[in-house]
Amino acid sequence: MKHKEVRLLAIALVVTIFALGGCDSSPSDKDADEMVLRHALFTKLKGLDPGNMRDFYSVTVASQICETLYQYHFLKRPYEIIPLLAKEMPEISDDFLTYTIKIKKGVYFQDDKCFPGGRGRELKAEDFIFAIKRIADIKYLSQNWSMFDGKIVGLDEFREYTKSCEKPEDVDYSRKVEGLTAGDDYTLVIKLKKPWPQLVSTALADIATAPIAKEAVYSYGKDIVSHPVGTGPFMLKEWRRGSYVELVRNPKFRGEPYPSQGGPGDAEAGYLDDAGKIMPFADRVIWTIIEEYQPAWLLFLQGKIDNSPIPKDNYNEAITETRDLTPAMKQRNIRLKKFTDPSTFWLGFNMLDPVLGENKPLRRAISYAIDREKFIEIFFNGRHLVAHGFVAPLMDSYNPNIKEKGYARYDPVKARELLKEAEQIHGGKLPELKMAMPGTNSFNRQLGQFLKRYITAIGLDVEVEYMDWPTYMEKVNSRSVQMFSSGARASIPDAEDFMGMFYSKYWAPGSNRFNYRNPEFDKLYEKIEVMFDSPRRKELYRKMELIALEDCPAAFLNHRVVFALHHDWYKNYKPHAFAYGMSKYRRIDMKKRAEYKELLKKIK
Amino acid sequence: MSDSHNIIRTPLPRGRSLWSDGLRRLCRRKFAMVCFAVVLIYFSLAGFIYLAELFDWQVGPTLWNEEVGASYETPSSENLLGTDIFGQSVLRKTLYGAKVSITVALCASFISIAIGVPLGAIAGYFRGFIDEIIVWIYSTLSSVPYILLIMAFAVVLRDKTIFGYKLTGITAVYLAIGLTSWVGICRLIRGEVIKHKGRDYVLAAMSYGCSERRIIFKHLMPNVFHIIIIDFSLRFVAFIHAEVILSFLGLGEVDRPSWGAMINDARIELSRGVWWQMAAATVAIFLISLALNIFGDALRDSLDPKLRIQ
Repeated sequence: MKHKEVRLLAIALVVTIFALGGCDSSPSDKDADEMVLRHALFTKLKGLDPGNMRDFYSVTVASQICETLYQYHFLKRPYEIIPLLAKEMPEISDDFLTYTIKIKKGVYFQDDKCFPGGRGRELKAEDFIFAIKRIADIKYLSQNWSMFDGKIVGLDEFREYTKSCEKPEDVDYSRKVEGLTAGDDYTLVIKLKKPWPQLVSTALADIATAPIAKEAVYSYGKDIVSHPVGTGPFMLKEWRRGSYVELVRNPKFRGEPYPSQGGPGDAEAGYLDDAGKIMPFADRVIWTIIEEYQPAWLLFLQGKIDNSPIPKDNYNEAITETRDLTPAMKQRNIRLKKFTDPSTFWLGFNMLDPVLGENKPLRRAISYAIDREKFIEIFFNGRHLVAHGFVAPLMDSYNPNIKEKGYARYDPVKARELLKEAEQIHGGKLPELKMAMPGTNSFNRQLGQFLKRYITAIGLDVEVEYMDWPTYMEKVNSRSVQMFSSGARASIPDAEDFMGMFYSKYWAPGSNRFNYRNPEFDKLYEKIEVMFDSPRRKELYRKMELIALEDCPAAFLNHRVVFALHHDWYKNYKPHAFAYGMSKYRRIDMKKRAEYKELLKKIK
Repeated sequence: MSDSHNIIRTPLPRGRSLWSDGLRRLCRRKFAMVCFAVVLIYFSLAGFIYLAELFDWQVGPTLWNEEVGASYETPSSENLLGTDIFGQSVLRKTLYGAKVSITVALCASFISIAIGVPLGAIAGYFRGFIDEIIVWIYSTLSSVPYILLIMAFAVVLRDKTIFGYKLTGITAVYLAIGLTSWVGICRLIRGEVIKHKGRDYVLAAMSYGCSERRIIFKHLMPNVFHIIIIDFSLRFVAFIHAEVILSFLGLGEVDRPSWGAMINDARIELSRGVWWQMAAATVAIFLISLALNIFGDALRDSLDPKLRIQ
């Protein structure tokens, strides 16, 4: 009996060892022959349906499967929009209201069982119309509707019509929308209600408008989130929710040449080595979902993933005081890429709050109370930039003299003076203020403690409320927070994204989460919204930024500067602030990757 | 002289109560007494911090949020256990953490006793339908994994306002632990009451016509009280651990130092070589856990007649 138990235990042990071995995400022998890109994703994917996604990680994966009409040039800086599924740049009518877009011929959807015979069909102009109508369909509940709200002729009426449909299946997508027509199979015509200079960069280069086969939408129903059928260079092979995503090369992909032109220094950096070669280079792309930075960092050092950000607690291990790689990293042939992210982070004030909203000296006092230099030193190893305004430095309209205005200076003496003024306005001692933090993890807790420490130092009482993301969003969207820690990243190289955060028609749950209103600002916003890029518009942007800063709807804290590392076998890794479908450009130097194991042994 | 004058009065050995006998046995165990002293130190520290906060004494642990040095200073003669990310003293935070942990464990213990003991006594005394209902409730509750149950309660209770009082951080934690941890003591008391119910002193009380309430609380309770004391001492450690786990998971005290939150912070700091915060919190938990376990075992050996050793 005893022997039998021992035998059973031994069998169970062997089975467990094999099973665990199977779970290992490390490169296998099979990978030795194939070019596989290996990455880490730091959060779970929500879905891969391009019409209804906004989160960075889902967009990153879906952009390899689905394509847009236009894309940003991979190498050229300043960023330049070029055609992708479109044959050329759009023809724009003289009144700037009609866009005629020619579509490439010979573009096919990937093979999928949703098509007759399982063979993907050719892409037509109707597919783009279907994608935009889907976003307008109220039954679909797309997060991207605000992009088109009030912009295309007849689209708002189509949305109204979908409201009258009882079930999602009742919506008739063949119903005409005057502003969305197909001249022929390869011509898309968009008619606008008013000029929309950002149409191409905001909408037509955004994954939201990427065509997804309507056959797949009807065939998979709600499961479309895990069955994206696009025209891109890769297609989904496996998605283990919460742990693993694998894409394989799409055999039906038409093939795109690698750019032959780049910016200054690109040739020297090796970014033009593959010029003219047909993409994609990789056979497979794998993302392992690792929610903690530490394990991802260790996998990177072991060579099991190709690139990695630097966790703040490993910064000293990777970077020297002169902001260069440490000898230990150089020994591993690791490369460093630094780039400014078009992002701004802040401590926001709810302008509808009776205490904060009516009391500008109080808001200014809080802003002056925070030592941003120290904040950046402690939380980001001094890497980030102080946000003196809200337009990120990468933007064309960034005001280089904004620092001189002093809105972001640390001045506790001035803060105390303003606080006295604020108490007079309030009519007595100010009540305890509440600050909402979007998480309960160490970073948010420490950030909450940091902000509280500086604000209480000038004599204000603050209670920090740590909440999970959905609760936080619910409170911010219902305008029931007082102060909140948040940030934004521009999706286009134009400051309009940042300006929209202060436009009164976009109050929460829209992008103006401060619920800020200034008639002068609104008037200027309505003006710039329909203006094409010009020195005058740039001037207006700067004027609008100063108007909002003067009212102090937030204490702007920092702009992110990314320090990213990659192994030397990971080629064509030029950071890009606005594009997502980058896997097609990446190439692996298989020889160098194979040599890394030996290098690790030597180092040990 | 009568014979009676010749009777030698041999003094009878003086009887000892369960408690005095238990105490005598406990005092003989030197190591247990050392552990008791350690436990007392932790309790005194927690009490002292309460008083200091009440009377606004500016002393070490209450000044935990003071910046005493640079960020992540290594332990030195100036800062014995080094500093954290904000340059706060890790020693002060560790001492302050004792208050949080002791408060949570103490409050949770009282809540679980307040629920578990009466329910166990009622179930054991009345049996029948009442017993079945109570057994059904605690069997259902105990079928859910303990930590998951506490987490669920902590999430639900957090930031809720009950009778005008907002349950934040520490309050939600001890309520969550207390409301989910009464099953063990309830089972013990029920079994003990069932055992005692047929004994002579209970039958005598019944024959005198004592009320059921009087029999339960005046006669049965004092005879099973040692079980409560033993259970209290052993469960106290588990409650400290539960608080640490909840704080580690971000469901506990967030605005003030606690050992769980310190370990959570230290987890990611370890990779940059900052070990002192992890070490300080771990040693603090280790010492009180060890001391309470040894003292609790000694208490059980001394008070439980079946386990008594000479």
